[in-house]
Amino acid sequence: MLEWCRALEESQVGTMVRETAFPYIEGTHVLGLSLSVGTVIWFDLRLLGATMRTRSVSEVFRDLKGWMFAGFAIMFLTGALLFTAHATEAYESAYFRAKLALIVAAGANMAIYHLTIDRRQAEWGPAPVPPLAARVAGLISLTLWGSVIAAGRLFAYSL
Amino acid sequence: MAWEIVRPVVDLLGGSAFGQWIGQSTERIAWLFVMHLAGLTLLLGGTVVVSLRLLGIGLRSQSLPQLAQDVAPWRTSGLLLSLISGALIFTGGAASYYDGAWFRHKMTLLFVALIFNFTLFRLVTQADEGRFSPWLNRVTGGLALLLWFGVGVSGRAIAFF
Repeated sequence: MLEWCRALEESQVGTMVRETAFPYIEGTHVLGLSLSVGTVIWFDLRLLGATMRTRSVSEVFRDLKGWMFAGFAIMFLTGALLFTAHATEAYESAYFRAKLALIVAAGANMAIYHLTIDRRQAEWGPAPVPPLAARVAGLISLTLWGSVIAAGRLFAYSL
Repeated sequence: MAWEIVRPVVDLLGGSAFGQWIGQSTERIAWLFVMHLAGLTLLLGGTVVVSLRLLGIGLRSQSLPQLAQDVAPWRTSGLLLSLISGALIFTGGAASYYDGAWFRHKMTLLFVALIFNFTLFRLVTQADEGRFSPWLNRVTGGLALLLWFGVGVSGRAIAFF
């Protein structure tokens, strides 16, 4: 794996990102927070009953999902390019490993929510404050995405 | 110039025991940056959501004043978190930040963005539906995105250029 990371780092793409494009791609990755996590938080806060209480949960999701997916697409694309520039350091960094694990956990939380609690959303979705299970899913999501930001920032600072 | 008028305060801050203490530890600065990014996510995320509605390209099922009112407390918390963590980061390295071109661009844009935020942006997003022309809504949404993302872009540029 480390060998593969080294090859990636020494490839044309890795070299180009590291030597010229880094500030622009990194800037896009950081400001992309506004569309990715920056849109997810409104859905999570709605699940907590903390914002947009007059709109049903499904309406809020429908309003946000296109922007949310676009935001995460930008994050994965720019994140992958940034990875090529410092692949070996990323591979060996505890912060970077924690960040990937936290992203997987946030994805799993989202999947579990959609496969379980969300199934009966027609019953509870219009209520200002969702049932406990939905609130827990929202709180877990907020906590995990906040931790992803922290791990990412601390990794960048350790480079 | 206005920058020179403020310099004594900057020197005082940067030279203070508190400023020295903050700047001493890279770990402390790194965690302040984490808070700065958390604030950015709330502030820019809130700005995006409201601006998409102003531009008429997103969240169209929601009424503008209701959406703005729902988003405001979180968005303002993000602004405060960014301002406080930003001020602390600055205090930890005042002398090296203050003369930077991009730092000055960022502060100038921030100044304009804050004035805009508490005047036109507030007026248009709090008005009853239909009181202002859709064009004023679009201009306000476009300006909000330009100004706040401009602050973000120049902030990133401080680190690189």
